[in-house]
Amino acid sequence: MPSLKDIRSRIDSTKNTQQITRAMKMVSAAKLRRAQQAIVNLRPYANTILSVIADVAATGVVSHPLLEPNENPQKLLVVVITSDRGLAGGFNSNVNKFADRLLKEVKGKYAKVDTIFIGRKGSDFFKRRGYQAVDSIINLAKDISYDYAAHMANRLMDDFNKGDYDEVRLVYNEFKSAISQEVVSETLLPIDATKASSLAKGEGGFSTDMIFEPAPEKIMDQLIAKHIIVQVYRCMAESVAAEHGARMTAMENATKNAGEMINILTLNYNKLRQAAITTELIEITSGAEALKG
Amino acid sequence: MFTLTLVTPERRVIAGAEIEEVFVPGDRGELNFLPGHAPLMTTLRPGIVRYRLKGDSTVHRVAVSSGYAQVNGVGVNVLAETAETVDSLNPAEIDAALAEAEARLTAHDATVEELEEMTHKVEVARVHKELLSDSSAAH
Repeated sequence: MPSLKDIRSRIDSTKNTQQITRAMKMVSAAKLRRAQQAIVNLRPYANTILSVIADVAATGVVSHPLLEPNENPQKLLVVVITSDRGLAGGFNSNVNKFADRLLKEVKGKYAKVDTIFIGRKGSDFFKRRGYQAVDSIINLAKDISYDYAAHMANRLMDDFNKGDYDEVRLVYNEFKSAISQEVVSETLLPIDATKASSLAKGEGGFSTDMIFEPAPEKIMDQLIAKHIIVQVYRCMAESVAAEHGARMTAMENATKNAGEMINILTLNYNKLRQAAITTELIEITSGAEALKG
Repeated sequence: MFTLTLVTPERRVIAGAEIEEVFVPGDRGELNFLPGHAPLMTTLRPGIVRYRLKGDSTVHRVAVSSGYAQVNGVGVNVLAETAETVDSLNPAEIDAALAEAEARLTAHDATVEELEEMTHKVEVARVHKELLSDSSAAH
């Protein structure tokens, strides 16, 4: 049986926790707004650039090593994007579980599987499971930058061009809405442009004879490099927005639970206090009765 | 159906609006696209994209820095690095950017890449000025 003082101190500590979770929720909500804006604005650009590449690819004028589909890829690189900080509900563990399953699945199919972890949570999780990462990037700046994505994208392209890998996949949380995110695995390289082409869909009924200014090879090189950078940046931005969303929801729930806990504890506290008073009264009255006799 | 989509990494400026015609600053000079134009792909130089919405004679202007433009059967896609309309420009900021870029251009310690970047910035600033003066003349 806890004493009144014990309950009092538990109520106080729960209140403190609630204050922290409420503050974290506010901070996440503010960050989420910015991150959401960024990702919503970036998506059209990323989609348009892919459909442009697809159109050009459909003309058959240019062939590019990064556009060549590979029927039997043997060397796979998986890039897993998590966050540095926890307390975001299932955000990190969902990605980690998904990636873990994926890595087990591809083990037999590929001759070589390498991994890169972005974010401390993923890096730690797989280190504990004995995965040797080619690279892991932790302590990301508060918000991932375009320059950083460009750096990462160039490195992936270099590795791919050198023939170190013939398939590169990204695993990350896709931002659906403020309260939901979904883990997706996306093939970054080689570029699968077949679905995005408006020419392939036969819209407009145009010939595939396309005019290029300047030469197609020159444009394609730049365009594809741009596309990869934008895709990497988009995935990171998706992950950041999803993280803030997940943390906001998690902290909102925590605040609500703390509130319930405080109510229950307060009720217990009052009951106990009332019981103590009743006991005292009984003692007094029975004492008085005894004196009368 | 002939639509115009103009996007930058930061925002979507025009989302598939149906248009009569559009002018874009192509790599080898200004290009005019009308419905039924042959498929084309070009890089952009700093300049002003002008377009007219369907059934409207008003010419809208957007200043772009660099990027790509593509014509396919259904319309025009413009992928710009930056895109500014008259409302989003601030004359004081343009002057400051121009002055800074010009100052760096005359500096002796500048590298070749830096010179190229600054030349590009000067061009962009001039295009922004042009956009502002065009619109003030129109009123």
